[in-house]
Amino acid sequence: MHPEDNVSFEPVVGRAPLILGGHDFHSITEAVAAPMERTPSLGWWIAFACSASLLGLLLLSIAWLFWEGIGIWGLNVPVGWAFDITNFVFWIGIGHAGTLISAILFLFRQKWRTSINRSAEAMTIFAVMCALLFPGIHVGRPWVVYWMAPVPNQMSLWPGFRSPLLWDFFAVSTYGTVSLIFWYVGLIPDLATMRDRSKTRIRKIVYGIFALGWRGSQRHWRHYEMAYLILAGLATPLVLSVHSIVSMDFAVAQLPGWHSTIFPPYFVAGAVFSGFAMVVTLMVITRKGFGLENIVTLLHFDNMAKIMMVTGMIVGYAYAMEFFIAWWSQSPFEQFAFVNRAFGPYWWAYWTMVTCNVLSPQVFWFKQARTSMVVHFIISIFINIGMWFERFTIIVTSLHRDFLPSSWDMYYPTIWEIMTLAGSFGLFFTMFCLFARFLPVVATAEVKGVLPAANPHLGEEGHVAQSWTASPAPEGAV
Amino acid sequence: MSLVVPALPPGETFGLLAEFGSPKELYHGCERVRDAGYKRWDAHSPFPIHGLDHAMGLGRSRLPYVTLFFGLCGAVGGFTLQIWANGIAYPIQVSGKPIFNWQPYMPVTFELGVLLAAISTVVGMLAFNRLPMLFHPLFGTRAFEKVTDDGFFISIEAWDPKFNPIETERFLKQIGATNVELVARDGGRVVEGRGSSEAGASQDAKAR
Amino acid sequence: MNEAAKPPGAGVRVLSDGQALSQLVWLGVVLGAVGLVGSLALSSGQGAQLYFSWLVAYLYFLSIALGALFFVLCLFVCRAGWAVVFRRVVENVMATLPVFALLFVPIWIGRHELYSWTDAAEVAKNPVLRGKSGYLNESFFLLRAIFYLASWSGLALYFSSQSQKQDQTGEERITRRLSAVAAPGIIVFSLTLTFAAVDWLMSLDPEWYSTMFGVYYFSGSILAAFAFVVVAIAFIHSRGQLRGVVTVEHVHDLGKLLFAFTVFWTYIAFCQYFLIWYGNLPEETSYFMRRSEGSWPAIGKTLMVGHFVIPFFFLMPRAVKRSAPLLVAAALWLLAMHFMDIYWCVMPVHLEHGARFGALDATTVLTVGGFFLAAFGWVSSRRALVPMRDPRLAESLSFENV
Repeated sequence: MHPEDNVSFEPVVGRAPLILGGHDFHSITEAVAAPMERTPSLGWWIAFACSASLLGLLLLSIAWLFWEGIGIWGLNVPVGWAFDITNFVFWIGIGHAGTLISAILFLFRQKWRTSINRSAEAMTIFAVMCALLFPGIHVGRPWVVYWMAPVPNQMSLWPGFRSPLLWDFFAVSTYGTVSLIFWYVGLIPDLATMRDRSKTRIRKIVYGIFALGWRGSQRHWRHYEMAYLILAGLATPLVLSVHSIVSMDFAVAQLPGWHSTIFPPYFVAGAVFSGFAMVVTLMVITRKGFGLENIVTLLHFDNMAKIMMVTGMIVGYAYAMEFFIAWWSQSPFEQFAFVNRAFGPYWWAYWTMVTCNVLSPQVFWFKQARTSMVVHFIISIFINIGMWFERFTIIVTSLHRDFLPSSWDMYYPTIWEIMTLAGSFGLFFTMFCLFARFLPVVATAEVKGVLPAANPHLGEEGHVAQSWTASPAPEGAV
Repeated sequence: MSLVVPALPPGETFGLLAEFGSPKELYHGCERVRDAGYKRWDAHSPFPIHGLDHAMGLGRSRLPYVTLFFGLCGAVGGFTLQIWANGIAYPIQVSGKPIFNWQPYMPVTFELGVLLAAISTVVGMLAFNRLPMLFHPLFGTRAFEKVTDDGFFISIEAWDPKFNPIETERFLKQIGATNVELVARDGGRVVEGRGSSEAGASQDAKAR
Repeated sequence: MNEAAKPPGAGVRVLSDGQALSQLVWLGVVLGAVGLVGSLALSSGQGAQLYFSWLVAYLYFLSIALGALFFVLCLFVCRAGWAVVFRRVVENVMATLPVFALLFVPIWIGRHELYSWTDAAEVAKNPVLRGKSGYLNESFFLLRAIFYLASWSGLALYFSSQSQKQDQTGEERITRRLSAVAAPGIIVFSLTLTFAAVDWLMSLDPEWYSTMFGVYYFSGSILAAFAFVVVAIAFIHSRGQLRGVVTVEHVHDLGKLLFAFTVFWTYIAFCQYFLIWYGNLPEETSYFMRRSEGSWPAIGKTLMVGHFVIPFFFLMPRAVKRSAPLLVAAALWLLAMHFMDIYWCVMPVHLEHGARFGALDATTVLTVGGFFLAAFGWVSSRRALVPMRDPRLAESLSFENV
């Protein structure tokens, strides 16, 4: 055996099977729907209980925040943003993987996405919910947060459209809406499946209403598939734009360490990176809990590992470019910003970031690592820790020591900020537990579509496409 | 209560429902039905089958035009809103830059364009499909429950000019249908010898 | 037309003879020679202009070859099946990279005219340049240039030769090995391309900087490579080869890639411009201030409209991407726009008061372009135009687009 033989699941001729275990259409429906129709397992209850308690912590923290004010947090001058915006960017970033899997992998005709896209899209929506929380609560006067919307008011004031914070409002709202729409459209056929399998009347009515009367008509599928393609085509630039706009919260400023032209694609790559890590974390658990090992297979994890490597390396490239250009610029402020990151008081955050983001994914060069659930689970958590610290490093280290040493100060988080962060995970996982309980975690209609039996030309001779340029192929040719 | 009521052929019968064994058989069956000249018919499957549009003789969906139109509306509208709000209604100068410039307005312009494009796509898709349509005669049949699981069907409606209960049934059996049944207008099978349909055949027809 | 009975590639042999491109060699050599003579003749008294024009032409054609290298590496890393039928054409484009080592010589000769940091007196006066002189000095510059060109040539020749070897032996192991090597190959590619862009393009203005710059040059390169491949395929079709082999299905995908990367280029270019505009820091805005006199702003606006708006709406409809004349027109347009982009990056350093497109620009394009085409033709004529025994050839031949 040559070492290069061990590189991929993909055989050199033909394609690896996406679904294992000899599934046919009916058994896929059973495999995905049956766990939802039983009473939930002990594992689900434990997960739900833990998440719900964290959610309780979140609500408590927010209630106290609204009552007492932002002073309960550790923010000061110069560090006006810390955990709040770190968490915002962190959660939005996580959401991006769902859209990438749904939209971009769809446009690239990657059929393996069908096993994970439903869960990933759900994850996106819940991540956006968690993300939207933070700008909402960090404003100090959350009762006037509606001022961000361009509605006529008695003060004749309009939102400042030139501000990236406002672009965030539009970008994240659009992203949340479009993600929800895309997820729902994908759900319609599966809701119809749930409707038709319902044993109780209440389930039938609820699923039936949301299934909109779907009956699998080809005349409907035609428009449906076009809508799906268009949404995928729209969601792709959208996901690029959303995290680019989020990065512009920093990049439009003049702060060393913030003002860097590479921020938009760098943040997008980082978002996809952390998002995939979260998808991996969720899928390792979900597939085990619901017995879906033949539908979400090692091939899927292999591919996800490779995507994490690519995006992780783009992030590493951006770190290197920032470092190089900071030196190149010969600006003492730029150079200090980077030296301070690595060797200043927050050096531990910086090195956590580098270790987790650049070093830990390198283990995925080895196929054994890419196909091990334990390695995936551990590394995906490391990656998310690293990505959280990346945002923390960027925000806090650039703020706490900028141009004027007399303005320098340290930032320390308070217990309320930590509880809010932990609580946001509670919101996220609670929503995901509820999703897994009531909705199919795999897009069954799409998975059926990629089974070999779904091919209407199975076993027939290949078609020959027409020639591109006008003249026909000459005699005797293929 | 459905928001959209299906257009149904007059008379007691809705049409014929034929089941097929696999996507391949459905595909070839559709080609035969198309070639036989039927116009009021449909194919049903739990997932979209590649190329079935072509086998049915259907053209491409017009949805992209809807998307483009509303996307442009959203983008132009968003840009105009910003120019007006920050330049005319209450002009504010920010960081010494001109009152009217296009650069900082690009993000919101783009987002609003995408937002409207996406919403119009979905609304358009539902409108073209005449959904939600919670009731349909086909839901009355037992066999049709498989359509969201692993069943593949062709339905030919009674008001097609070529429709004939005996002839069409024979034709469908000939092109590979495994199970053909006559569907009544208000759901349920039409039982031989009786003029009226068995409305009680599936009591939950109304709830679906 | 039944393919299942024949092994994949059997009938394809008739349609994939590279000999059809051997005319390109002569055409290219003639154009190159004419251009070279013209450039030398016209360059008396205009030394600096010669080198700047040469740099524009060089970076333009280099970007096409580099984009092709990236495309091939990506196809291997992703184990793509759809593009196998025309992958040889892309390989032939990237196989011209060794020629660029030779074509780099005039840049080295003209370095004092091109790069102000080579002037020791300038550097001594300027603390910013002094600080950078550990990197920006002539010997390190040359060493790095040799390293970049060697890396690119090495990667290109390795992949080309292995692919050609597979034509003979049909070994599956070759595909696996190339897929494995492509991953670190992309890492080497991205770093060398970035620093080449920094060295040869960004250092024209040695006090200016942008972390996005490598990505910017990359985005233009990949787009230009796709456009060139579309035109090359159309040309090959016109010579009676690859018809029925590379079909509308494959080219439709190239059209989609052209569309997508037009948007990508716009995104990168806009981000760079916009963040500099918004921050308004003099050390960064100098780039655009330099392009604010005379006809330069007009060229900038033309790029916005011509490199984004027009191709975006033109390439949107499916029908355009599936129509030979329209897609080739779009590809040629994008190739022209890419040239304008490179010109806009390079020339304002020399022509501060406005663009002046002159004879030297034309002759240098003829020279570099001519030799590039000659190399492409020569490489193509020595091998089959289709990877005859690639294991995924059958998949590619029967590829159908949505």
